[in-house]
Amino acid sequence: MYRSRVATLGVAALVLTACGGNGAAAPQKKTELTLYNDKGAWTKYFDEMGALSKQRIGLGMKPNGYTDSAQYQAFIKASFRTDVKPDLFTWQTGGMLEEIVKQKQVAETTAVWQEAIKAGDLSQDLAPYYTIGGKQYCVPMNVAYWGMFFNKKIFDKYGLKPPATWDELVQTAETLKKNGVKAFYHTSVLFSFVWFEQLMAGTDPDLYDRLAAGKAKYTDPGVVQVMERWKQLIDAGYFINPGDKTDPGDVLKNGKAAMVSFGTWFNTSMTQRDMKPGVDYDFFVIPNVNPALPKTSMIFESGPLCSLAKAADPDASMNYLKWWTTAEAQEKWATSRGDVSANPKVTIKDEALGAVTKDAGSGKYRLVNRYFEATPPPILTAALDGFSKFVAEPATYKEVLETIQKEADEYWSTHQ
Amino acid sequence: MLGRFRHGYVAPAAILVAVLLYAPFLWTAYLSLTRYDGLEPPAWIGFANFAKLLDDPALITSTRNTLIWVAGTMVLPVGLGLLVAVLSYDIRGGAWYRVPFMLPYALSGAGLAMVWSPILSHDGISNLLLGVDTAFLQEAPDNTLAMLLVWTWQQLGVNTLLFVVGLQSIPKEPIEAARLDGASGWRLFRHVIWPLMRPLTAVVVGLALVASLKTFDIVWVLTQGGPGRNSETLAVTMYKETFVASDYGYGSAVAVMLTVVTGLASYLYLRRQVR
Repeated sequence: MYRSRVATLGVAALVLTACGGNGAAAPQKKTELTLYNDKGAWTKYFDEMGALSKQRIGLGMKPNGYTDSAQYQAFIKASFRTDVKPDLFTWQTGGMLEEIVKQKQVAETTAVWQEAIKAGDLSQDLAPYYTIGGKQYCVPMNVAYWGMFFNKKIFDKYGLKPPATWDELVQTAETLKKNGVKAFYHTSVLFSFVWFEQLMAGTDPDLYDRLAAGKAKYTDPGVVQVMERWKQLIDAGYFINPGDKTDPGDVLKNGKAAMVSFGTWFNTSMTQRDMKPGVDYDFFVIPNVNPALPKTSMIFESGPLCSLAKAADPDASMNYLKWWTTAEAQEKWATSRGDVSANPKVTIKDEALGAVTKDAGSGKYRLVNRYFEATPPPILTAALDGFSKFVAEPATYKEVLETIQKEADEYWSTHQ
Repeated sequence: MLGRFRHGYVAPAAILVAVLLYAPFLWTAYLSLTRYDGLEPPAWIGFANFAKLLDDPALITSTRNTLIWVAGTMVLPVGLGLLVAVLSYDIRGGAWYRVPFMLPYALSGAGLAMVWSPILSHDGISNLLLGVDTAFLQEAPDNTLAMLLVWTWQQLGVNTLLFVVGLQSIPKEPIEAARLDGASGWRLFRHVIWPLMRPLTAVVVGLALVASLKTFDIVWVLTQGGPGRNSETLAVTMYKETFVASDYGYGSAVAVMLTVVTGLASYLYLRRQVR
C-alpha cells in the first residue's frame, strides 16, 4: 500500500513539474530568431528575408505564420505571461499597440528610429504612428496606401478609364452593370469596414477623425448620410454578394468584380497570381465623394514589427529590427512582394504604386489612418460585426449605427 | 493483491484530468466574475458579467440559434438515424445501405465545413444545381438551418450505427412472443422494440444533446457566426467575446453559462431516462 502511494505521488510530482514553468530564463545568444506573424500567406517572403539576414548580419529568421488573427493575438498576449516568447512579432499600430506598450511588454526602439531617420531610412512623418508617451516602439513592417485595384482587361473591353471624380466612378459602375459585370468587391468577413472608411474619408475626413477620437457619434447626421450613400450603391447592384468567399485576388483575376479596394499590400496577391501591372490590372486613387475637399483623402496604414522587452535575446532582436529598416532589407522585402516600402530610398518597381508613394510623400493627399488602427479595439469589434450585418441586410443601417454607438458610449465613458 | 495497486493505476490519470480540466474550469469560473482583457490583471466585478448576459441582444440570438441546433439535432441526425436503422437493420444487404451515411463521419467538423463552403456559398454548387439564387448562409435563421443539414449529413451515419447495434442487441424472445400475439409493423416497434431500446436511445440522445449545445466548428468555419452575429451559437459567442473582443471576463461568463446549461440538461435528461 505504502509503495503504491509513493509511486502515485512520484507520478503526480512529475506531472506537476512538467506543467510548471522553468523559472527565469537565462539570457541566450541567438543566431536564429522566430518571427511570429498573422500573415501566414507571406511565409515564403519572410523565409527569403531570413535567408538574406543570415547572409548579411549572421542572424537568421524563421517565420511562424498564423492565418487567424484572433488566435494570433491571443497567443501573443498569452506569451507575455509564459516562457514561450516570440523573438519578433507583427502587431497593429493604434489602440492595440498602445495597449501592450502600457503593459511594458514592448521593447523601446527610439534609438533605432533616431538612427534610421538620420540615415534617411525612415521618414519623420511615420514616427507618430509608432510613438507612445514620447518614445518609439517597434519599426514599420510595412506601409500601405489604399486605393482601387481594377481589372484592366475588363476596363479596356468596355472603354473605361480610371475615374477622376466620384461621379465618374459611379458612372463606371453603371456601365459595368449594364454589361452584366459587378463593379465592386465587398465582404461581410473582417474587411467589412472598407467602404465605410472610404466613404467617410472622401465625404468628411474631419468627421472621420472625430469619430475615431470619440468626439462624434455614429448616429450623427453626417455618418447616417454616409451609410445611406453606401446603401444606395448596394441597392443599385454594383457590389458582388458580400457572403462570397472567393479570395479577393481571384475575384479580381476572374473578373467576378471589376474593382477591389485594398491597401497596396494587395499587390502581393497580384504577384502571387502572376498578374502583370498595367496589363492585367492597375491601380487608381479613389476620388473624394465631396469634390469641395481641398485634398483627396487617402487611407493609410502601417503595420509594426516588434520585439518584447523580455525577449530571449533582446540584443539580437533589436539588431534585427535595426537591419529591417535598412534599404538593403527593404529593397528585398518590397520587391519580392511587389509592394511599397517604409524606406524612402527603395525604388518601387510597380509604376502606379511608385507614383502613389511619391505623391503621398510630397503631401498631395490627406492621409487618413485606416479604420482598423484608428478605432479602439472594443468599438472596432462591434463595428466589424455591425458592418457585416449591414452589407448582408442594408436596410438595418440605423440599427447598426446605434449598436456601434452603444459600444462607443461604453468605451468613451472610461477612456476620454 | 490487485486492489492494492488500483489507486496507483488510476491516480495518475485522475490527477492529470484534475490538473488539465478542473483547474482551468475553476480559473474560468473565477474569470467570469472579473473584468479581464488578457493584459491587465483581472479586476473583481462580482456578477456584473452575468447581469450583462441577460441584457445582451447578441446572446439572445445565440441562445435562439443554439436551441434550433438542439431541436434540429433531435429531429434530423437522431430521428432520421433511427429511421434508417429501423428500415435497414433486418434486410439482406442492409449494411450496404448504411455505408453512404457512415462515410461523412470520418470528416472532422472543420473539414466538413470546408467541404460544404463552396456548396453553400452564394455562387456555389447548390444554387447552380437548384437553379436558384439564394444566399443560404446569410439570413437568419436560414443559415442555421442550412448548417444543420450539413451537420445531419455527417452525424446521421453514426447515429444509425448506434441504433442498429441497439436493435441487434435486443433479445429475440419478446419480439417473437409479440409476433405470435399478432403484433407487427408500427405496433410492434412502438410497444416492444422502442421500449427495449430505451437504454441505447438514452445514450444517443444524451450524446447528441451535448454535441448540439456546444456546436462551434461548423459555424465558425462557414460563417464565423455572421453576418452581423446572426448565426452565432453560445459556443461561438464564448469564443468571439474571449478571443476576438478580448473580453475574457464576459467570454468566461458565457462559458460558465454554457457549462451549467449543458450539465443541467444532461443531468435532467439522463435522470429521467436511466431510472
